[in-house]
Amino acid sequence: MQVIETITNEPLHFTQMANGLPVLILPKQGFQKKYAVFAVHYGSLDSEFEVAGKGVVKVPDGIAHFLEHKLFEDATIPVFERFAKFGASVNAYTSYNLTAYLFSIIDFFPEALRELLHFVQNPYLTEENVAKERGIIEQELRMYDDHPDRRIYRNLLNALYHRHPIRIDVGGTFESIGEITVDLLWECYRLFYQPANMALAVVGDVNPAEVLDIAARQMEEWQYQAQDIKRLLPDEPDTVNKPWIEERMSISQPRCYLGFKHNQHLTGRRLLKQQLAMNMIWHSLGARSSPVFAGLYDSGLINDSFEAGFHGTPQYAFSMAGGETDDPQQLDKALREAIADLQKKLLNTEQVERIKRHILGGYLAAFNSLDYLANSLISHLFHGTSYLDVPEVLESLTVDEVNQYICEAFDLDRSAVSVLLPE
Amino acid sequence: MDFVHYKIAEGVNLYLGETEKFTTLTVKVFIQDSLAPETVAANALIPSVLIQGTKSYPTRTALVQKMESLYGCAFWTDVSKIGERQILEFYFDAVSPRLIPNGKQVLKEGLMAFGELITDPLVEDGAFRRDYFHKEKRNLAKMVDGLINDKQAYAVYQAVKAMCKGEPYSLYKYGERDQIERLEPEEALRHYQELLRSNPIDVFAVGPNLEDLPELIGAWPWQRKSLRELPPVSVKEEVQEQEVFETQDVQQAILVMGYRTAQRYLSPDYYGLLVANGILGVFPHSKLFVNVREKASLAYYVDSSLEGSKGLLTVTAGIAPQSYGQAVEIVRRQVAELQDGVITDEELTRTKIGLISGIKKMLDNPAAVIDRNLIGIVHHELRSPQTVLESIAAVTKEQVRKAAQGLRLDTIYCLSGPKGEA
Repeated sequence: MQVIETITNEPLHFTQMANGLPVLILPKQGFQKKYAVFAVHYGSLDSEFEVAGKGVVKVPDGIAHFLEHKLFEDATIPVFERFAKFGASVNAYTSYNLTAYLFSIIDFFPEALRELLHFVQNPYLTEENVAKERGIIEQELRMYDDHPDRRIYRNLLNALYHRHPIRIDVGGTFESIGEITVDLLWECYRLFYQPANMALAVVGDVNPAEVLDIAARQMEEWQYQAQDIKRLLPDEPDTVNKPWIEERMSISQPRCYLGFKHNQHLTGRRLLKQQLAMNMIWHSLGARSSPVFAGLYDSGLINDSFEAGFHGTPQYAFSMAGGETDDPQQLDKALREAIADLQKKLLNTEQVERIKRHILGGYLAAFNSLDYLANSLISHLFHGTSYLDVPEVLESLTVDEVNQYICEAFDLDRSAVSVLLPE
Repeated sequence: MDFVHYKIAEGVNLYLGETEKFTTLTVKVFIQDSLAPETVAANALIPSVLIQGTKSYPTRTALVQKMESLYGCAFWTDVSKIGERQILEFYFDAVSPRLIPNGKQVLKEGLMAFGELITDPLVEDGAFRRDYFHKEKRNLAKMVDGLINDKQAYAVYQAVKAMCKGEPYSLYKYGERDQIERLEPEEALRHYQELLRSNPIDVFAVGPNLEDLPELIGAWPWQRKSLRELPPVSVKEEVQEQEVFETQDVQQAILVMGYRTAQRYLSPDYYGLLVANGILGVFPHSKLFVNVREKASLAYYVDSSLEGSKGLLTVTAGIAPQSYGQAVEIVRRQVAELQDGVITDEELTRTKIGLISGIKKMLDNPAAVIDRNLIGIVHHELRSPQTVLESIAAVTKEQVRKAAQGLRLDTIYCLSGPKGEA
């Protein structure tokens, strides 16, 4: 087992098991809670792939999320009950890139870890329980439809992208979930749920050797098929789909987001650098410390709902900035001007150093959150980056590098605006 | 974790919870006031005016830049409602001094700026700075209008409003538009100065290296006169048994069922009620989740929550509009089961384990370690985690049954789409 010291002087244990599963363990002394995530590098974007002997396969949207729901089914004792016995809260989530199964617990950690590894390895899918799940997921999708935040976000991605599956909700659509069958679920499960395409992270007051021992025993019998995964994404044009999109719904105040499509899709250290630099740039424009924010706020164009940030993984990269506003046109114009202005003036050393300190402080504070740590360790691993590299990469970013991003990353021709208006 | 208590001034308490396990040092300040129609909007507005600038850092940009340069000291303000108290909340955290260069100095500067924000507000001619005040007034009014954007929160509040009509508890913690529009910066400053002089103030700190805090916080420019005792929560015995329907353009209907409870925080058998609520609707194994979601596939979410200060239990479910009757019936039946003592050993054990785990997990989160004491400071009875854990462990089925028998259904509220479209 490799041991790497964190910036907070805690030892992160890392190893790859014989079956190929990466395992990350961060013992946290003094904490009552233990938190474990067993994740699959398989998310909603992976709806098209190449299978050996079968060629290109395209499956309905929302399967990763559907599978996530279904894995909680068990032939005898429902999964929730297996965990409730130990006082564990078990949960799961699906994102664009990954599906994560997790629990947090105080006592009975070994027992719960065995349950976690067991249920993810043993799907129980029947025609009947799959049909029933459609009703539950449909309710979930409806619930999201009533959320203005979700709608304006989805609309923005639809405006930015022509074909990329990021256009579609992680859960899929009413139509696509209707097409999901037991066979399709099995097909995707067999392809993606294999140790080399997964990872286990445990954070809490645990013994790393014990965790590894449990993991090894609990996976002895697993009948998985090791095979190469070739994910396919449709060819996405550089241009945006449409520059402006608006919709009406029952809300009290209009909302407006300006989005940028970035065409640099990176992995590893370069991705980490891109993420940090872009977040510093958006921080300089949209954080509460920003004169740009103050100007917009004082003129009444934005309120405290305003946010701005970069979202990038090896499969996509976009930025968005916005919030509630009485005048979407004016806000769009002001934001574009602020970016153009920043491209002229650039950031100076004082600004960059202050924002670096701020980001480092946030990084250190996050070591209080076991959940955040475990999930960050996993998502960085799947992106080919390391969460522990953040301070060092942050330190290494120069003012010139950040300014280079300012000049190159924002192409006003590759931007779109999403607006929600009250009915 | 047990807190060590210090008295800073008359009615100003400091509680220190020293621990090495966190990478931050977290401080929260709570100023209490009675929840009342005359002051609810002012109390909601004042914290957001204070954060716009201080005497030393007169703009929010300058203040936040200062905090950022101190390795990202975080600070925010809010207002909360516990029973019939409104609480002005001020939050601050700094990175543990041992993890950054000049840690002690960073902490000192951060705490000074934070303390000034609370105790020595930026004023002009006997009023809050007018431009900040009016801007925040507009923002607060819009935020209150915006409650309608969050259908679930909106539905729960409408249900509580219908249920507690005429009682202070029916007030929205951020005030209503007309209450906000009447606010003036002179009057609001006078009110805030009165709070600083006489209302109960509690300061909590959690983290490593707290040894300097009594001195640092004691050095804030406190202006104390005396301590004003606030009245206890009002209790209403009778229930209305009313149904309230509202229509809006929503995809999913939201059902809220409000019960009054016989026990509250200071009742000897309060923990019987806490466990009853857990068996009913807090966990995946709870009766509501199993029967409404899993067995009948009626809802995406369903849960119950307890307001232990006022004594309210509310069940909330997202349902298809046509399932209203069926959902109400299932909820009623689950409550009736609890009242008849139809509780398995498993339900009782798992609920206790769940509640106990929940409390232990709170101890791993600095803000939660602090916030769990709010109900205690309101009722002048702080309870250590150990006391609460032992009380929960000791609850019997009979106590759960008795607590459940004290539940009386007051209001059934449903928000759904226009008729014909459901």
